[in-house]
Amino acid sequence: MATVLDPPTEERIPVRRKRSTTPGGRRRHIPPLLAISPFYVLFAVFGTFPVVYSLYLSFQDWDGIGSMRFVGLQQYGWLLRDPVFWHSVLNTFEIWFLSTVPMLFLALVLAFLLHSQVRFTGALRVAYFIPNVTSMVAMTVVFGSVFAQAGLANAVLRAVGLDGIGWLSSEWGIKSSVSLMIIWRWVGYNALIFLAGLQAIPTEHFEAARVDGANSWQTLFRVVLPQLRPVVLFAAVTSTINGLQIFTESQVLFQSTDVGTTGGPGQEGMTIVLYLWQKAFKEHQFGYGAAMGWLLFAIIAIFTIINWRLVSGSDRDDDRHGRPGLAGMLRRKGARNGR
Amino acid sequence: MEHRTMSRRRFLGASLGGAGVTLLGLAGCGAPSGSASAGSDHLSLWYWKGALSDKLLATAERGVPGVAGLKVRGSQIPDGDIDSKVRTSLAARAYVPDITVANSDNLATFFPDEDEFLDLRSLGAESVRERYLDWKWKSCFTPSGRMIGFPLDAGPTALYYRRDLFQEAGLAHEPRDVAEEIPSWERFIAAGRTLRAKGPGKPYLVSNIGNVFQQVLLQSPRQFVDEDNRFIGDQRHVRRAWDLSVELLRQRLSAGITDGTPDFNAAMSRGRVATMTTAVWAINGLKDSAPRTSGRWRLTTMPDGPANYGGSYVTLTRYCRDPEAAFAFLTWLLSPANQLESYQEMALFPTTPAAYADPAMHRPDPFFGGQQPIDVFGPAAQKAPVNYFSPYEETANTPFFQELTNVEMLGKDPDRAWRDAVNTAETTLSRVGVS
Repeated sequence: MATVLDPPTEERIPVRRKRSTTPGGRRRHIPPLLAISPFYVLFAVFGTFPVVYSLYLSFQDWDGIGSMRFVGLQQYGWLLRDPVFWHSVLNTFEIWFLSTVPMLFLALVLAFLLHSQVRFTGALRVAYFIPNVTSMVAMTVVFGSVFAQAGLANAVLRAVGLDGIGWLSSEWGIKSSVSLMIIWRWVGYNALIFLAGLQAIPTEHFEAARVDGANSWQTLFRVVLPQLRPVVLFAAVTSTINGLQIFTESQVLFQSTDVGTTGGPGQEGMTIVLYLWQKAFKEHQFGYGAAMGWLLFAIIAIFTIINWRLVSGSDRDDDRHGRPGLAGMLRRKGARNGR
Repeated sequence: MEHRTMSRRRFLGASLGGAGVTLLGLAGCGAPSGSASAGSDHLSLWYWKGALSDKLLATAERGVPGVAGLKVRGSQIPDGDIDSKVRTSLAARAYVPDITVANSDNLATFFPDEDEFLDLRSLGAESVRERYLDWKWKSCFTPSGRMIGFPLDAGPTALYYRRDLFQEAGLAHEPRDVAEEIPSWERFIAAGRTLRAKGPGKPYLVSNIGNVFQQVLLQSPRQFVDEDNRFIGDQRHVRRAWDLSVELLRQRLSAGITDGTPDFNAAMSRGRVATMTTAVWAINGLKDSAPRTSGRWRLTTMPDGPANYGGSYVTLTRYCRDPEAAFAFLTWLLSPANQLESYQEMALFPTTPAAYADPAMHRPDPFFGGQQPIDVFGPAAQKAPVNYFSPYEETANTPFFQELTNVEMLGKDPDRAWRDAVNTAETTLSRVGVS
């Protein structure tokens, strides 16, 4: 590891070249590298290796135990012609759109309210963040009751004079239920991100807006939003990355059922990762699952590149204002997620 | 200053230790024995909660009676994880349990890798064959004739029905009469029409049509893929199950409710569904979901005869440190006497017919109005057909169950759904070498 890190040091600071070539200088790098070794050793074992190995697996036919058989690009070929896979891609995007757009909007409103709220701010922040750290499996039991035919959601609809919906038995019912669960889980998290962004806005701007006679909505849309742009983009990017990997909600919501309803009626709740899980871990087609993982990676990469272009545009703005840009935040977020 | 250096050193030491432990763990993966119990005085056993008797396992941990010096320590693995954990350890050839439990769906998925498990015939399994149900014994064998499973419990099926609803609709309602009146699925559907017309509150016959599809299939020796790895899911035995299920829907006899959901519990408690076609292990679930209906249910023979639905196996992996002792443990744990104890403690239905005659199994159940469930399940367990399950059963049947759900929940045209199911099954199976 030390040799890998040395060259840039040598290039940049020629003075140090002498030192680092001496044995003592080289040894100097060992303690700090050892100190951070728990991270990179664990990451190499549980991060890098599985990633590389899954690429290798995607060219094999393997049931998880026996010997592997090299099949070249066959798994990818099958996958591109698999209607269920494309259905799951469509589902994933529909659910992502149905959940992310309202969720970011709600989060922004919540953050704005939290920012102006004086009392109980701490308690409220905790309350909004709790869904994010609650066990999704446990919560799905609750949501199963909420979305039941005779459940809370339909009771509310009937109370206002509407007909009940087949929340778990119709195409848009299923997508809405899954989206609502995602919104419930992530809105608080994103509200806190927005809140952090809001608190970085100088209070003079709010005061100026108030002096000019702006009401709350005008302040939100004309003053706050433009200054929050990098934070909003950050939230949008991370929500996209998370949203394209939706799994737990769909898996657990339809788990109580017997075989053959993975993803619910019409497989309307079948997402890419759920299909990957079904093929690899239920039907033991690990090569197929690995190929699917890499196609998902490609899809996410394309979206990240699109986002990146938006990001680099906003970076220049940030430099002018002397605030940390989205790129910086993304780098931090990436390091935290280990992805 | 001195103090700070010390703490930094200690910190470095700790991180080195952390990395060292990781590396040691990795090195351990190459351990020659491969057994999870290597270096200990016991054999390791993986099972999920409820699969084996806790009392018998507690005894085995202290020492298996009759086998000098043998201790078996069970580890509970969550139900949903055990298959992938076993596969992972087998793939890694390390930390493999000596003994592991496999459920009925899973045993066949190990057929392509049958060498990973010990052939129990080589350990003298034939000597205890007479104790066990014939179909269960046969289902322990791979197509090449290797015995990789040992009979744990059985899942004989029966028709659960609401006596009160049958009576009020003017149908035969005592178990013996119902069995006579409803000998076939066609008569079952006819009874459903009467219930729907004359029963109190116009109850549905079944909760969903997938259950009937499943039961009709289990009554057939052939499933979706045969021993020669050929797809047979487009043939008459499957089509008949499909048509019967669709007929239930056409006659509006299905409530269209997924089992195990809050809606299912509500429908069961409120008497919206008059029958259940399922196995013995569903009793406790039904008691939990509809306690208020206690005393109103009865059991009788399934239309078209009984079958087996579920039930598990115990396997010995090839990394087993002491195959003879492990096999001795199996014959002790799953002896007729101990299966009887497991039934009383855990409601695991014995695969040893000798136990069925025991007075302990002939307890009247107030939930079924004092009927003795064994009177129905005992004969059912002895009459179940031998089914052949292929390793690709789940891959093959998933599209059919999925399309049946689409027909029931989304109103998809049944013939189109059938064609889609056959096509999807054929395509998916071709990827795993089934034609």
